[in-house]
Amino acid sequence: MVALGFRNVARSVPRLTAVTLLVGAGFFLMLVMHTIGRAVEAHTESLQRSVDATLQVRAAGSMGHVNMVAQSDILPPEALDKVKAIPQVEKVETYLLAMTPTEGHNFAMVVGFNPGDTKRLESHGEAGTGRIIAGRDLTEADRGKRVAVIGQGFARWAGIRPDKLPAELTIDLTRTHPVIFALDRPAAKLSIVGIYASGYVFGDMQLFMPLDTFREIYGVPQGLSWLYVKADSAANVPSVERAIRAALGDQADLIAPTTVAEFQTTTTRSVLRLTAAGMALSALLLAVIVYFVMLLVVRQRAWEIGTLKAIGAPNASIAAAFLAEAFAYGIAGSALGLGLFLGVGAPLAKRLFGLAVGPFIPAQYKDTLLDVLSVSAGLDPPQLALVVAVVALVSLAGSAHGLLHIVRLSPLQAMRQE
Amino acid sequence: MVLIELKSVSKAYRKGRAEVWALDGINLSVTERGMVAIVGPSGSGKSSLLHLVGAMDRPSSGEVAVAGQALGALPENALAGFRLKTIGFVFQGFNLIPNLSALENVMLPMEFAGVAPNERRRRAEALLARVGLEARASHRPAELSGGEQQRTAIARALANDPPLVLADEPTGNVDSKTGQMIYELLREVSAERTVLVVTHAEALAQMAAQVVHMKDGKLTDGSQQT
Repeated sequence: MVALGFRNVARSVPRLTAVTLLVGAGFFLMLVMHTIGRAVEAHTESLQRSVDATLQVRAAGSMGHVNMVAQSDILPPEALDKVKAIPQVEKVETYLLAMTPTEGHNFAMVVGFNPGDTKRLESHGEAGTGRIIAGRDLTEADRGKRVAVIGQGFARWAGIRPDKLPAELTIDLTRTHPVIFALDRPAAKLSIVGIYASGYVFGDMQLFMPLDTFREIYGVPQGLSWLYVKADSAANVPSVERAIRAALGDQADLIAPTTVAEFQTTTTRSVLRLTAAGMALSALLLAVIVYFVMLLVVRQRAWEIGTLKAIGAPNASIAAAFLAEAFAYGIAGSALGLGLFLGVGAPLAKRLFGLAVGPFIPAQYKDTLLDVLSVSAGLDPPQLALVVAVVALVSLAGSAHGLLHIVRLSPLQAMRQE
Repeated sequence: MVLIELKSVSKAYRKGRAEVWALDGINLSVTERGMVAIVGPSGSGKSSLLHLVGAMDRPSSGEVAVAGQALGALPENALAGFRLKTIGFVFQGFNLIPNLSALENVMLPMEFAGVAPNERRRRAEALLARVGLEARASHRPAELSGGEQQRTAIARALANDPPLVLADEPTGNVDSKTGQMIYELLREVSAERTVLVVTHAEALAQMAAQVVHMKDGKLTDGSQQT
């Protein structure tokens, strides 16, 4: 009976043609919407991969340099534990900072950090990191030792040559500058074991030493200047930001990269909602088409249904034949829709994006997004699975009413419906 | 042996607000084998009687039993199984499936009965040969004459070897010469099973071993048997 159902499709060529065109158009629209949605998702994923999901936490209203005029407040000791306790936090890097005068450059930065962490260049924020060009980097074994690596600009100012490492450098904590106040601490001699280059003039005016060495030299037994907090994904940056604000309240200022999150919350969600709505509407349209076609078919073949029942056909067999017929219409239409999609899907997707999606996304993205989106009309397993699933669902949903009608009829009722 | 037994069977239909009694207290017994003709004017209840015996409809009251099976007790899906095994239908309009060949039409009831494909084909070919249509097996109904279509329908009715064949005006859509051929075929078929025929044709009624006359939903002329 399933074979009979497939053969029944060919009984009316005009009907087959009309249904194939209508269903094909619906499938085409659905695949185009799906492609746009996937392109935006892929773009968002690409942004998530390429953009750092790191937030910077400082004491409120302060740069956090322990000897900088009016900027010497640092984060309280418990801040680190509170931030580490946030579930979406993947890693926290800790820094203590001070300044030291350097004639000709005004001053250089002195940074205490955990060896192995990123050597963050202050003026670049999280953007840059130095590369060792002479000597060696700091290691775990250097913790507590009076060793440091130094930027090439600072090294040049201090007369430290790359070919003469390790070299000695003395930091005088009592020296002042209009923005640096004196600390009543003894001068510290450091062994410079490496020189780094950042490619940025001010970035090369820094010195990195182990955090506990910094604490000892500057007399800061607890607290931190900066926390660099890495969220486990760009998508979780907003929730991590909210959690840090909730945990630290007025104690801290927060600098968060919001671009990806903003793109996700505005554009990605809007486009995905629109394309999902478009796909749902397309599926509904397909189901409605199949519904009316099958209703017509059932009414036209009422006597045939009655005959089949009279000669002993079980309802399941009759329903299987009509379901197969609905499925065959779906296959014919989806084949046409797929063909159209592979042929003209990409250019039409771009045009449809401009017409149907563009007006609903933020102005800063709608003009540029389409240019960066990779909209291609290729077929992959998920799309094929989508087509098969939609054909099956639409056939079932569209013919459900007709099938129920068939099942409820007695043979005589069916024959008299003609 | 009694094959068909009707006890006080009535059937009412609604026509607008009015209730029309198509059958009114019918009592009838039909034995195994042989042809029984049901004759009567239009609207006398002949087809209604045939539909009740064929489990195509249910009575408003009374009992219908066929081949020892009380039909009133059977649910709808069991009635389909009953029709499949016990009844062969021959309709006035042939009612062949248009996009199936004559052979495929005859094979169809056997598919529902779960007969293996090779066996279906073998039996269908034999039945078409029996009605003289072996050369037309691959033709679709539209390519067959009225007589050929009705002979195909008779072959289909015999597909599952039922004990009862019900024919509703089997010669109503064919010419008299073809009608004669159909009569002969049904008489031949009735030698091995019961054939219950609703007909206006006097010639067919004369061939029947038993003639049941009907008028206004009742059996007349002593046709009623208890």
